[in-house]
Amino acid sequence: MKIVVLNGSPDSRRFELDCYLAELEGLLETRGHVVKSFELRAMNIGHCTGCWGCWVKTPGECVIRDDSQKVCRAAINSDLLLFASPVIMGFTSAVLKKISDRLIPLLHPYFEIDRGEIHHRKRYERYPAVGLLLERATDTDEEDLELIRDIYARMALDFKSELKFTGLTGNPAEEAADALDRL
Amino acid sequence: MLLTVFNGSPRGRASNTACLLEPFLEGFSETAGNAYELHYLAREKELEEHIRAFSEAECALWAFPLYTDCMPWAVKNFIEALAPFCGRQSNPSLGFLIHSGFPESLHSHNLKRYLEKLASRLGCPLIGTVIKGGSEGIREQPPAMTRALFRRMRELGQVFGRSGGFDPVLTARLAQPVRFSVWKLPVARIGLKMAELMYWNRMLKGNGAYEKRFARPYSQDNAEE
Ligand SMILES: Cc1cc2nc3c(=O)[nH]c(=O)nc-3n(C[C@H](O)[C@H](O)[C@H](O)COP(=O)(O)O)c2cc1C
Repeated sequence: MKIVVLNGSPDSRRFELDCYLAELEGLLETRGHVVKSFELRAMNIGHCTGCWGCWVKTPGECVIRDDSQKVCRAAINSDLLLFASPVIMGFTSAVLKKISDRLIPLLHPYFEIDRGEIHHRKRYERYPAVGLLLERATDTDEEDLELIRDIYARMALDFKSELKFTGLTGNPAEEAADALDRL
Repeated sequence: MLLTVFNGSPRGRASNTACLLEPFLEGFSETAGNAYELHYLAREKELEEHIRAFSEAECALWAFPLYTDCMPWAVKNFIEALAPFCGRQSNPSLGFLIHSGFPESLHSHNLKRYLEKLASRLGCPLIGTVIKGGSEGIREQPPAMTRALFRRMRELGQVFGRSGGFDPVLTARLAQPVRFSVWKLPVARIGLKMAELMYWNRMLKGNGAYEKRFARPYSQDNAEE
């Protein structure tokens, strides 16, 4: 399976998530998966300005030319999109949120009704499964984790997909690799 | 009461958030002695100023749109900058006004949960959360379409100006529909069709991009730089 990892660690002085991802990516590759990892903090990615250019000017592509195009291209062509982040103030990092907002060119402005709710329509034929990998902070509790999961599950729904995996860096990387293997 | 308002929309002054805030703040200002200051989180360079404004506020209102089922980047960036204030004694009381493009308020429920937990994490007394669905386009709609909404926002502001709280009846009304009932879905479908024609297609055509609206620029994995 093609796996795209979005490493949302904001700071190279924090090692835990970086180390964990390096180990996990190694394990996944030995098991035959193709892993492409983006270290978001080192990339040139601006924030969404809400201009809708990606839907009404250059359909499917953001009008801001930066590294987000690479991420969008890799993401839509993957089987699994893994959002990885330390928990900061009860949610994933701002640097990860920035790219999440920049993924909407992958959707279409038109609407559809899905499970009785309004959502946008697909632009592409298929969308990757969504995974979530979190590094707890000292103030992270179970409620925080549940909330983050719930938010990413809804986001997955909006991206025509499903949250198929949630992991914590406190657990062994083999466990995560096993779980991802089973998808 | 002195109210410190943070507009968290990436569109800043030209946002639907600003349109919702305007009547609210008018209503709020009707009570003698009330005053507010307004900050735009989209102005990244002013982050230090925003932190200072938060730290000195007695009462703060955060208003912003739902972005991929949560807060826009600038709002999370601001939240991270507030980490040093967790548990500080003199933190302001905190109210939230959140709104979404999709018409149902259920899309914002998780964000409400997050924000209310955030208030307790910061140690800010919680005023409450107002949710409004279907906000995309209100900044361009003719007055006839927004009159009822803005009247409600003004009333909400008036009550807030007097009592320091969100009126529960108005809040519940603004949050309608939470979701569409089965028999209302066909009506919703017509509304969506109208939005496609009048909103998206009009913009697509205006940009000469209508024929390309179904483009899939990334459909081949061929640009491995
Ligand atoms: C990147 C992006 C993501 C969005 N995500 C959502 C969403 O998940 N759910 C929703 O209902 N609306 C979503 N919207 C729509 C906005 O909430 C809506 O357009 C809102 O009215 C914008 O308000 P503003 O003008 O104050 O910024 C999104 C818009 C953008 C640009």
